[in-house]
Amino acid sequence: MTGWVGLCYLYERQPQNIMRRLFFIAIVVLVFGIALTLSAQYQDRFKITWIEPGSGALLPEFDAFDSVEGTLGVLNASGPVNTEGHPFFTPLGTNGRACVNCHQPTYAMSVSTAGLLERWRTTDGKDPVFAAFDGSNCPGLPQEKESSHSLLLKRGLFRIPLPWPPKNADGSAKPVEFTIEVVRDPTGCNTSREFGLKSAEPTISVYRRPRPAANLKYVTSGGQPIVLKTGTLADVDPETGKPVSMNLMTDAREPSLKTQAVSAIMGHEQARVAPSDPQIQKIVEYESQVYVAQQAHIFGGPLAVAGGPPGLGVAALRDHRAGVLGDNDYDPVFGSFSSWKGNDYYRSSVARGADIFMFRQFWLRDAAHINSIGLGNPLKRTCATCHNAQMTGQDLSAGWVDVGTTNYPTWTEPATWADSSELPVFKITCARDADPHPYLGRVIYTTDPGRALISGRCVDVGSIVMQQLRGLAARAPYFANGSAKTLREVVDFYDRRFDMKLTDEEKEDLINFLGVL
Amino acid sequence: MRFGLFILGALVALGQQRSFVSCPIVRDTKTVPCFLAEYEGELYYLGIQQDITSAFHPPQLKHEVLVEGRIASDPGAPRVCGGIPLQPVSISVLKEVNLSCNTLLPAEPGIDAPAAPRGPGPSSLHRTEAANPRKTLTGRQEFTVLYAFNDDYLEFAANAVVTEAAAYAKQIGASNVKVSGYRATTLLSNGDRLVEKAGLAEKRAQNIATLLRGLGVSSTVVESKNEPEPGDGQTDPSRRRVTIVVAP
Ligand code: HEC
Ligand code: HEC
Repeated sequence: MTGWVGLCYLYERQPQNIMRRLFFIAIVVLVFGIALTLSAQYQDRFKITWIEPGSGALLPEFDAFDSVEGTLGVLNASGPVNTEGHPFFTPLGTNGRACVNCHQPTYAMSVSTAGLLERWRTTDGKDPVFAAFDGSNCPGLPQEKESSHSLLLKRGLFRIPLPWPPKNADGSAKPVEFTIEVVRDPTGCNTSREFGLKSAEPTISVYRRPRPAANLKYVTSGGQPIVLKTGTLADVDPETGKPVSMNLMTDAREPSLKTQAVSAIMGHEQARVAPSDPQIQKIVEYESQVYVAQQAHIFGGPLAVAGGPPGLGVAALRDHRAGVLGDNDYDPVFGSFSSWKGNDYYRSSVARGADIFMFRQFWLRDAAHINSIGLGNPLKRTCATCHNAQMTGQDLSAGWVDVGTTNYPTWTEPATWADSSELPVFKITCARDADPHPYLGRVIYTTDPGRALISGRCVDVGSIVMQQLRGLAARAPYFANGSAKTLREVVDFYDRRFDMKLTDEEKEDLINFLGVL
Repeated sequence: MRFGLFILGALVALGQQRSFVSCPIVRDTKTVPCFLAEYEGELYYLGIQQDITSAFHPPQLKHEVLVEGRIASDPGAPRVCGGIPLQPVSISVLKEVNLSCNTLLPAEPGIDAPAAPRGPGPSSLHRTEAANPRKTLTGRQEFTVLYAFNDDYLEFAANAVVTEAAAYAKQIGASNVKVSGYRATTLLSNGDRLVEKAGLAEKRAQNIATLLRGLGVSSTVVESKNEPEPGDGQTDPSRRRVTIVVAP
């Protein structure tokens, strides 16, 4: 299987005549079809390649990994990667973890719950990815129990402990506009005397999905000195002094890939000694040249072919310029899909999905940092208004928006207050002289305050930095809180949240479209 | 009685000015929505949905809006989206949430929005770099940053003014950059006065000074006038401001 797609990748580099191309596509479709049928009977036909830290594997320039719907492509643009002793693939801390534990090529440089579950079974829960510190619901829980890792195994969530109040770069406490109380604590971590808000080092634990450590030139480009959404200065890269894009992490707390890598080593890897500069350099070099995207689909065949949609596949990501606005009709976010409009059932569905993403209007309402920044409430626009940057669909400006995933009442958690939530629930009370949250006022219930945990501002409660929309099919579940198990659940969320009234066909098209990115 | 006279006087003086607080009304159309507001039984047209870069920033449902605008001088001018157009108009979204501001009217045949530079979908406009006026400036220059009522948020246009001022200061190697913050009063058409909150003048000035420093301008002097500027019901939005005086 992998070989076929490798071929597709090579194939797209050579001019071929039309008949051979059609024949080739037919073969690929056939092989995928058979594989799919087999996989239904023998689930583990699709072998997952989990890279263990320190394995010393040699990663090829192009690799491909199968998932149920198709194949993910992974491109090392600067050539094969020797992982032997490589700091991204080598444990640098005390818990045996390396970056690769949570950022696996197989899963679009994130990690899926399917992969984690399999890992739990094959290692009896001993894989360092399950480390007590943040791979369990709370470090104090009995680690051998599956239930102590339920958020990771069910929703793919790692614990992110953040100091409260937030600190300035010099270590002093930042002024904050609200108080925070823990009103539900299913993991026990926020009320814990040892790890919680009332511990010696007051900490808020939120639970989040790993964001793909790939295609990063897009994530880090586009910094402006003044952040459009807040009218305040952007963070600067401590090394260069230049303003940064503020699109890294769920809450934009890391200004650069370097600071991010250091924090990951001191945090996720529980290092006692800071990593060396060359180590950090090497990590950033690696993650800056790795590209992930869907490369083939069981019905669609190879996705990146001459004459096809120009935005698909890893080579397109490697070659495209970063930092380009795509919220326009002449040069759209993921390129044009018009060449797929026609009588091929699956491909025309994808092309219709692309049009829905770009053109299907609905009322964007009550989304802080979109409706509240001068665009008006409501705003009659499309998905691409928020997901506006070419190739990744992030926000070209600092990417935090309260789209409603974490704040009551639109949150993705149980709709009725009485139902149990798997996530902690916080009550935020804003100071009288602070600007309130623009649509929720001064008392807000939330499962993740998002950007507000860093900025200390009430208007930021529930604002989450958009993730890139690439390699989606390989890395379910979705949203920072892992609440959407499938792309269908993502689409259903938007349908509800913005009362979009999508037809079944429109939903199918949108799902098919998201699935080829 | 005296109050009545005052109102009468004010009305004469204000002429066609309208300053009032109410819930905005959104009317859908075949293209972009129109934003309207009602005052004393009359419907006023404020503007249409546009882009972040445009001068008009629409109001928001879930919030009351302070409208300060002028009725078009031609009394026979046609209504727009069913409302009497106010132009120029200043829009201030009031901060507190008001759930009763929730009117979204469906599109109606015969009621169309004025032609919009950007429709409701993705933009069709190609971005062009605006000519840079700074190059032609010399000597002492004053830049004015305007705010919505009771707000210190820098809208897109205000943000551009600060960037301009900083670039100019650096271009001429300014030895003296003075930032002065103000808060102001709005005289409503019903004679009431709305005064911006205490401390806002200083907060505005400090924010701008921080931005200028971040943009590489040192040598700033920051001052603020906590005494609110008076309101005349005509030009009130122009006094909710920070001035940046850049001298060689
Ligand atoms: C225990 C799992 C884990 C390990 C180990 C780990 N990460 Fe992550 N990574 C995450 C999670 C979870 C997030 C999202 C955190 C958030 O948004 O608050 C993340 C986010 C990132 C991002 C941000 C991507 C974006 O678009 O915002 C980068 C880059 C990244 N990690 C790189 C690394 C590197 C480099 C290492 C090794 C030094 C590493 N990670 C180790 C779990 C992990
Ligand atoms: C108001 C802005 C806004 C609009 C409109 C919007 N999104 Fe999003 N989108 C976001 C934000 C913010 C997130 C991150 C939310 C989170 O993780 O909790 C997100 C996340 C996503 C994700 C999850 C990505 C991942 O890696 O988990 C997908 C997929 C997505 N959006 C697709 C869409 C589609 C399709 C539409 C149109 C139907 C759409 N979005 C409209 C703001 C928006």
